[in-house]
Amino acid sequence: MIRFDNVTKRYPGGHEALCKLSFEIGEGEMVFLAGHSGAGKSTLLKLIAAIERPTTGSVLVNSQNVGKMGRGAVPYLRRNIGLIFQDHKLLFDRSVIQNVLLPLQIAGFSRHDAASRARAALDKVGLLKREKANPITLSGGEQQRLCIARAVVSRPALLLADEPTGNLDADYARDIMDMFKAFNQVGVTLVIASHDEDAIRTYAGRVLHLDHGVLQA
Amino acid sequence: MKTWLAHHRQAIVATLARMAQTPFATVFAVIAIGVALSLPAVLYVLLNNVTRLVGALPAQPEISVYMRMDATQMQNDDLHQRLKARSDLADFRFVPRDAALVELSKQAGVADISAGLTQNPLPDAWVVTPRSSQPDAIAHIATALQALPYIDSVKQDSQWAQRLNAILGLGHEFVTLLALLLGAALVAVSGNTIRLQILTRRAEIEVSQLIGATHRYIRRPFLYFGVLQGLFGGLAAWLVVSLSIYLLDRRVADLSTLYQANFQLQSLGLLPGLILLLCAMLLGGLGAYLTVTRTLFQSNAH
Ligand SMILES: Nc1ncnc2c1ncn2[C@@H]1O[C@H](COP(=O)(O)OP(=O)(O)O)[C@@H](O)[C@H]1O
Ligand SMILES: [Mg+2]
Repeated sequence: MIRFDNVTKRYPGGHEALCKLSFEIGEGEMVFLAGHSGAGKSTLLKLIAAIERPTTGSVLVNSQNVGKMGRGAVPYLRRNIGLIFQDHKLLFDRSVIQNVLLPLQIAGFSRHDAASRARAALDKVGLLKREKANPITLSGGEQQRLCIARAVVSRPALLLADEPTGNLDADYARDIMDMFKAFNQVGVTLVIASHDEDAIRTYAGRVLHLDHGVLQA
Repeated sequence: MKTWLAHHRQAIVATLARMAQTPFATVFAVIAIGVALSLPAVLYVLLNNVTRLVGALPAQPEISVYMRMDATQMQNDDLHQRLKARSDLADFRFVPRDAALVELSKQAGVADISAGLTQNPLPDAWVVTPRSSQPDAIAHIATALQALPYIDSVKQDSQWAQRLNAILGLGHEFVTLLALLLGAALVAVSGNTIRLQILTRRAEIEVSQLIGATHRYIRRPFLYFGVLQGLFGGLAAWLVVSLSIYLLDRRVADLSTLYQANFQLQSLGLLPGLILLLCAMLLGGLGAYLTVTRTLFQSNAH
């Protein structure tokens, strides 16, 4: 599903965030992306969603070279990817349900379909009772779950999560990991970035280790 | 098609809601656009009324035709036949040279001079009234007559008409120029309100782009904002024009009673009014388009 071929990413200013990465992630896999802060995990996820472009090498998603993708095609790639951002990127000028509705409105769902899908997604993450609340009133764990609801509401085949358990207590973190596992069991491919090695070790799964932008064997 | 329609309806409703959120800014922008548009519109309407008034004047331009001094009676008869044959003349009359001298000597101060004359220096003349008061038609007749060998000179009295037409033409050009300038101002006003809108909605735009919004999707609500704002501004301008003409018309009515004429000012017609609205919407949309496009291309989250 995802294939990196000799990918290097150099940011303007000369800093090399990723160095000659090559790997493959198959459909239905759940892969952890481990490494210290600054190792290049976020950069790797951004390359998959075409938020950043590789300096050299090619990034293939569903056999499409997303590094060379035209501006017009990028939005349609992103609609098939659920993104959970490190900094949440929730909108605090609207309610919880409005945040979840946004991807559906963008994809052009009818009002009726969108509303029922959004409720189902909120139900799945246990936030249905808070649908009318402003996200700023939610706890850290609830905000993270809202991000997940927004990412999965359009039922993407691929979910990219950047530090989804970053600042959460162990209990909350486990809840969220269980949710991801459930998604994986229904066939969703997941790539989860985390600097928390302990949390990763408790889930026996494939781990990609990054160290200063280099993939460890 | 259905989702496309839904998108648009959604965008209109959201735009109106957003306008209602900042009533002061919205009213201010609408007034600015309305005033900018009403200026050329009022001038246009007044100019049209002047043109109409001029067309209604009992204007009877005349052409004076002077025979050569040695013209014979036969040649005078020939001209008479030719004038009779023309269908573009309302009237013509013959002024014999003797009658002309008598007329001339009646005028104050000239009598002494004419008394001292041993010979009549005036030629026979014809005064011709064209049917049309159009400068082109008058010039056409004058040229035809000038070509006859026994005619010394032809004087057309249509210069006033030409001058008036030139002035009206200048007025129309002035209105066009003003409309262009204020149209550009409208684009700027629209662009500026859109720029403020974009600033307050930066987060939403960024997130939307990250989760798959196309440029068109991002642009749509702003285009709607610009177009609707232009529409309201255009309606305000129409109102200003109608009100000004209504007030002016009462003055004109007083005046025209004094002159025993019956002249009523015409306001902005339906078609020009709709064109005004259309232009306002297009220019408002253009301002929005330019601003959003510039901002989208500047933002790095693409
Ligand atoms: N937009 C950027 N411009 C310049 N350097 C960046 C940018 N984003 C990240 N970096 C640098 O790239 C490296 C990897 O960053 P990142 O991918 O965020 O790491 P991680 O997510 O593993 O903490 C860091 O050294 C960071 O400073
Ligand atoms: Mg990171």
